[in-house]
Amino acid sequence: MHELLRSYGRTLTGVFITLTAFWMLIMILLPQAFMIEHSLWWIDRDDQLGMRIDRAYSDMGLLEFDLGQADTPEGKADIQERIDGLKADIAAMEAEETAPPKHYGFDNYTKMSALHFEIFLKSIGYSLAVTILALIVCYPIAFTIAKLSTPNKAALLMLGLIVPYAINELLRVYAWLMILDYQGVINSLLAWLGLVSFEDKSWVPFLEYSGSVFVALIYAYVLFMIFPIYNTVETLDRNQLEASEDLGAGVIRTHLRVVIPHAKPGIAVGCIMTFMLSVGSYSVPQIMTRGKSGDWFSQLIYRQFFESQNWNSGAAYSFSLVLVCLGFILIMMKVFKVGIRDIAK
Amino acid sequence: MRGKDVRLQDVVMRFGGFTAVERTTLTINAGEFFSILGPSGCGKTTILRMVSGFIRPSEGKVLIGDQDMGALGPARRPTALIFQNLALFPLMTNWENVAFGLEARGVDRKTRRDRAFDLLALVGLQGHEEKSPNELSGGQKQRVAIARALAVEPAVLLLDEPLSALDLKLRQYMRAELKDIQRKTGVTFIFITHDQGEALTMSDRIAVMKAGVVEQVGDVDTIYDNPRTPFVATFVGENNVIEGRVTATGDGFATVETPHGMLRGRDQDRLSVGERAMLFVRPERSARVNGVAPDNVFDARFERRDLEGSFVNLFFKAGADSFIVHEANRGGHGGLEGAVKVGFNAADAVVMRAGEIEAEADDA
Repeated sequence: MHELLRSYGRTLTGVFITLTAFWMLIMILLPQAFMIEHSLWWIDRDDQLGMRIDRAYSDMGLLEFDLGQADTPEGKADIQERIDGLKADIAAMEAEETAPPKHYGFDNYTKMSALHFEIFLKSIGYSLAVTILALIVCYPIAFTIAKLSTPNKAALLMLGLIVPYAINELLRVYAWLMILDYQGVINSLLAWLGLVSFEDKSWVPFLEYSGSVFVALIYAYVLFMIFPIYNTVETLDRNQLEASEDLGAGVIRTHLRVVIPHAKPGIAVGCIMTFMLSVGSYSVPQIMTRGKSGDWFSQLIYRQFFESQNWNSGAAYSFSLVLVCLGFILIMMKVFKVGIRDIAK
Repeated sequence: MRGKDVRLQDVVMRFGGFTAVERTTLTINAGEFFSILGPSGCGKTTILRMVSGFIRPSEGKVLIGDQDMGALGPARRPTALIFQNLALFPLMTNWENVAFGLEARGVDRKTRRDRAFDLLALVGLQGHEEKSPNELSGGQKQRVAIARALAVEPAVLLLDEPLSALDLKLRQYMRAELKDIQRKTGVTFIFITHDQGEALTMSDRIAVMKAGVVEQVGDVDTIYDNPRTPFVATFVGENNVIEGRVTATGDGFATVETPHGMLRGRDQDRLSVGERAMLFVRPERSARVNGVAPDNVFDARFERRDLEGSFVNLFFKAGADSFIVHEANRGGHGGLEGAVKVGFNAADAVVMRAGEIEAEADDA
């Protein structure tokens, strides 16, 4: 703070701090607090309530008719009493209907249906698979760019990786759709080779496999894995690789003992980013599966909010996902033995 | 004797259009401490990398112990390299660093741990086995690097200016240490350096390189006392240079006509009369003249003196040439102002065909 004041003066420091505070408060703290708060209560809306009110009104109509027909004062008084009771009931029920009772508790989390829970677990599993696959694909690429190419070639490779990102993510996903569709690029190629035929619909239904979502997700988030790994591998002294080779270590041992330990923070960051983006991705599974290979949890959350209008359970679902991501971060930090500071680098 | 000899046969190394090492044939004997000395960019590191196998020569062969290394990679050559920046693995402990070569050779953990501990003890690092290299001082890191290289029992140890990062005191200490280890192990040491003092102190033999060419190979005394080329004469140690034209030769001596009169020195190149020549004489073999006059005497003007400690540098100017005299520091260097006579004996001077000399001031 003191440092800031000294380097930038009062006005600029004020701007920095205000902007940071605004960002923290409005973009992070408030929405999260809102979500958490919403996830912790639910409205106990009685499904039968409307019907019970209707029935009470019709009962009251009958009673009022009875009241007109009654011939003894005692009978009148008796019926009047029942009508009054019923009126009070109706008033209470109508009050409950307009302002249903709000309960606090963890029910939103615990009442997840078995099917939803299965989807929840499946999405985590799939995202883990995507993360591991992305790591397997990206590590060699990052290493090649960082250590094996000349600076010019590295710049060109980097550019080649970034160029597709100039296009909107949706379009990139649709590109994969076109490639993998029933009558898409690959199937057309197979048809041309005579391996499948469009007439009898013997095409390979790529889009019905979860693999198609994997492919599109890996492609969508490849840079988030490559960049952190590239950044850490880049800082590795080339002499270390040569020393390892000179001492007789093969390629695999050099990577296991020298490169990967050095690149750990980058790998951890890449995995965390890829996992979080995959598990929360909505558009990719939505577009790629078109409902043909089951929902992802992100799609369930979407439905809770925008189709069931149940913000409370939607909030609980999405907060569960946040917790999973936090857990994943902690596990990665533990597994790779890296601290927050390594990751922040 | 564990060391093996290294032979370069007609080796040429080109990078694109640039020739880093011109056609070179060089034999390094088994078990000797051999230095390759030269200014930066002279191709000495390229030779080292060809011997270690990181690059293949464009032409010619590298033989280690009579075996053609051909396309063998660094991993499969009987060499170990100590890098300029040491390249220790910072995420491993010291003993793991030392044991890494054994690990790569599939030695079991217990054996290689014991071996690493032994080697660390050999280089005087008991008690530091479980530490990380980053917890050590510069000199200690150096010794871990040496132990790591020795662990794979190389026949040839290649050292790429490993002392250049150390401070003066430590450097002097490590010189003795390296020499000692070399003697104990009998491994062939090939030491790359731009520091002539380092090369002279440690080596059995030296190759002096300039711009991809080996100018002279010889034992340290030969290199110092009988330099073959003007470059070697000026790069290794200090030398006074006086240019002139040969007027007479005979008995292994040549007389050169210089701006300071006729000067005589040993005729190394069998010069003929009329040729342009350079006369070199070491500052410590030169003297102020008072009393008994040496073979060569000429007039000079005193410029300044630098106290080096045990000796004094006296700077003179004779015409356009500067002339330096080293005198043992016995006190009393006064009374030098103005014109004096300086001189040297003909047997201490070398006359050779004029050529390119080391332009920059010596950094030793």
